[in-house]
Amino acid sequence: MKTPRVFGLFARRERTALVLAGLAIVVVPILNAFGVVSDLNLNLMGRWFCFALAALGIDLIWGYTGIMSLCQAVFFCLGGYCIGMHMLLKTGTKSVYGSSLPDFMVWNQVKALPWFWEPFRHFPVALALALAVPVAFAFVFGFFAFRSRIKGVYFSIITQALALAMWLIFLRNETMLGGTNGLTDFKTLLGFQLSDPSSKRWLYVLTAVILALAYFGARYMVGSKLGKVLVAIRDSEHRLRFTGFPVTRYKLFAFCVAALLAAIGGILYVPQTGIITPGRMDVKSSLEMIVWAAVGGRGTLGGPILGAIGVSLAYSFLTSHFPGSWSYFLGILFITVVLFFPEGAVGALAKLKLRRGKAKPAPIPEASHASQSDDDARLSGTVLAAGAGTALTASAETTLTANAATTNASAASATVEATAVLKESV
Amino acid sequence: MLRLSILPYLGAVLMSLAPLRAGADAPAEAGRPASTARDSAQRRPAPGTPQALLDTLLFNPDTRTETVTALLASGEAGLQGLFQNLFKGNVYEYAGPESGAAGRMLVIGGAEEERDNETWVPLLRVLPMEPLKTATGGPAYAKLVDLVELETDREVRAMIQPVLTAMDLKSPDRLKRKSAALALGETGDAALTPLLKTARASETDAGVIQLMDEALARIDLKSADPAARAEAAARLGAIHSVNVLPELKAMVATDNPAEADPRVRKSVDKAIHNIESFQSFTGAVQNVFTGLSLGSILILMALGLAIIFGLMGVINMAHGEFMMIGAYATFLIQGAFQKYLPASCFDWFLPLSLPLSFLAAGGVGMVVEMTIIKRLYGRPLETLLATWGLSLLLIQTARSLFGDLTAVSTPSFLARGWEIFPQVVLPFNRIFILFLTAVIVAAVSWAFYRTSLGTKIRAVTQNRSMSSCLGIATRRVDALTFGLGTGIAGVAGCALTQIGNVDPSMGQNYIVDSFMVVVTGGVGKLAGTVISGMGIGTLNKFLEPFLQSVYAKVVLLGLVILFLQNRPSGLFPAKGRNEDT
Repeated sequence: MKTPRVFGLFARRERTALVLAGLAIVVVPILNAFGVVSDLNLNLMGRWFCFALAALGIDLIWGYTGIMSLCQAVFFCLGGYCIGMHMLLKTGTKSVYGSSLPDFMVWNQVKALPWFWEPFRHFPVALALALAVPVAFAFVFGFFAFRSRIKGVYFSIITQALALAMWLIFLRNETMLGGTNGLTDFKTLLGFQLSDPSSKRWLYVLTAVILALAYFGARYMVGSKLGKVLVAIRDSEHRLRFTGFPVTRYKLFAFCVAALLAAIGGILYVPQTGIITPGRMDVKSSLEMIVWAAVGGRGTLGGPILGAIGVSLAYSFLTSHFPGSWSYFLGILFITVVLFFPEGAVGALAKLKLRRGKAKPAPIPEASHASQSDDDARLSGTVLAAGAGTALTASAETTLTANAATTNASAASATVEATAVLKESV
Repeated sequence: MLRLSILPYLGAVLMSLAPLRAGADAPAEAGRPASTARDSAQRRPAPGTPQALLDTLLFNPDTRTETVTALLASGEAGLQGLFQNLFKGNVYEYAGPESGAAGRMLVIGGAEEERDNETWVPLLRVLPMEPLKTATGGPAYAKLVDLVELETDREVRAMIQPVLTAMDLKSPDRLKRKSAALALGETGDAALTPLLKTARASETDAGVIQLMDEALARIDLKSADPAARAEAAARLGAIHSVNVLPELKAMVATDNPAEADPRVRKSVDKAIHNIESFQSFTGAVQNVFTGLSLGSILILMALGLAIIFGLMGVINMAHGEFMMIGAYATFLIQGAFQKYLPASCFDWFLPLSLPLSFLAAGGVGMVVEMTIIKRLYGRPLETLLATWGLSLLLIQTARSLFGDLTAVSTPSFLARGWEIFPQVVLPFNRIFILFLTAVIVAAVSWAFYRTSLGTKIRAVTQNRSMSSCLGIATRRVDALTFGLGTGIAGVAGCALTQIGNVDPSMGQNYIVDSFMVVVTGGVGKLAGTVISGMGIGTLNKFLEPFLQSVYAKVVLLGLVILFLQNRPSGLFPAKGRNEDT
């Protein structure tokens, strides 16, 4: 139950977000132009913002809708590969081997460009595909998965297997996607030299602007009725289904939006990094993305962004200063966050503030079964009021009150079923 | 040319080996080299005796090739050792107190020994081959540097080699007999037929008989008589001789076939068809077997997962790492056996490792349950994250303790295999894993449905608070269930050491697959895990020949998703009124 708690912080949080966005979009590039922030660090921050985009998507699908997708890195890489293919074709004969084909095809003795590379010659087509392919993929996969009501851990396991399968496919040489070495040796994008510092700066600004837009867009989305339905799916999917909401469609929508955000992250990431390999999409990468959201605080939108940046910062620091310690750090981070900070850094801070203000802290979501059924009952009441309120008769509202009062889960679901029947009869 | 021309002797040598016929009549039928051998022999006194020929070999280096030819033809059984060592370059000229009046003698050097930073070799007489004695009666030794090797050229070695191969036909080692039969068949020389037939008559091993028959048919296949060739091809087809397939195919190749006679070609075509259908049959047998073996490993992995997931609602992503713990426990026990116990008990390390790896992985599992998992009941997605973190920690710890790649050796009683058809060998280590899986599945279902702990585990699964009211220590049952699940993973790890390497990330290769098994099988019954494990394992191996293993995996994933369309909770869903399972 995050929604009630965050209402009090609403105005302040938006202000902070605006200030941070302003800093990232305006101040940092100016500092870079004067040489205070090095090109390298600017580039690094740009890449972290790409991760933050993916983390934002994870927050929507996991933090708000309660679906833990373990294949977000695949969507990230699908977007990245699409734009990478375009840039590689634009490199053309300026590559190491001087052939019009990408270098890895020369090594593999490929004579002609495979048919599916052809559309990527033109930037608008490539960009459209970079956005459409991951979303279409998410749509088809999600359609079959959600339709058969695969959910919870089953969904996580299936998406993880999917990530493994995709990773294996991309590792192969005969799929013509560069195999283990991936795609690299990019020179230009839309005619700009990628090695040029000013191109890098503009890419950074573009990433920061898109991240800010995505954040405010997501904020608007979770504040709308749609967002309430997503939270309701997370907290009690069955009740929502019984009250007549097309749950599958909402889930599919959230999954596609998350895939889209990950894909945008990938599209912006590849020109800034200069390489994309299957290593970015293995099983571990998707789980790392999940931990960004968990560390920052899921269901807060801001948290996962900060989490992605913070964990990536720690990665850069630890791998350069203490090589070999990264696995230990990440492992301990996973366990600590899950055991002691289930709401992540942002959630823990908010709790601390509330406690300091002598206010009673809101119950921790899903902390235990007993309080969950209670929460569910109240929450489904909220949703019913928000979404289907007009359809309810007075007697239905009475039932809802009774529902909220009870703590027995099976009794509560029985009353909800009664409500559903009632609603149908109206 | 010389190599071919020596072949007639071969028959003579080997025919005479058994009855020990030491006469010089064999060269009489031979061609050119025999006459030169006789010429060289005539120059020495007492011509023709092996002893005299050996003297010639030593004192007349110019006629060495001819002398060896004559020696080969002499049919003296005691010369086997000489030929073998001549081939290896272990025959020396020796001048020492034992060499007698001539001052020099031929000796054979035994296994080299290092003493005082110098290499010494024990000396053996050539005929009969026995240790050379010093004046005091002890074995004679010489420094390697003092000996002069009897030089032999390629020609001589080429002459000796087929003789040695043919000698191997009588070797007590069946592998040697097999490779000899194979090599003789490849020469395709008709002169070898009687030799092979004699050996075939006294052979008892089915595998060797198969190869000898094949060799005989192969020789006939080169015969000038078309009827004999056709009949040989038919024989090869009847014994499903896979080795000859390329040769047969070359005979009937569409462009430039080696065989002109249409009747022979018809027979060859039929043989090829026979052999190929046999090949696809044995291929299917192999596929079923490797599929079952992969399936049994998946079952061992998935069984523990299914118990933990089905009964406790915990997603244990570190399950593969508990398997790794079992594998490293086996590795350590093997090391302890090597270090502290005599070599004769070494094979016992595996039977001991099975329970110990169960205890090691189960013990770590219980500690993990009591520190981490118990705080996370009812939150399956969070257990997924926490155990993933745990798996990272365990992998990194193993890497810093043991390094990257180690291996456990296979005890001698598992090293061989069961040859069900020629060329289809089912290795004992894989049969062992199949058997182990069956035992463990039986033991687990017994423990679940026939013991007090099993009853308690099932009771807690169904209704935790009611079980607690009835006096079941639910916390303890939780820890024991988790320990049981991870312990089975440990046994899986111990079994895996027998078919693969041990490395810190070995668990990662199986974790996703075993989760697929759990999801497909459902968590309601153990049978679900067994059926889906076997199904996925076998299907995987059957898809692999058509698609590559990567695409087989992708197709399998697609099939699992389609399957879940119909049965979202797997084959055997958990029964109950849980809202979200």
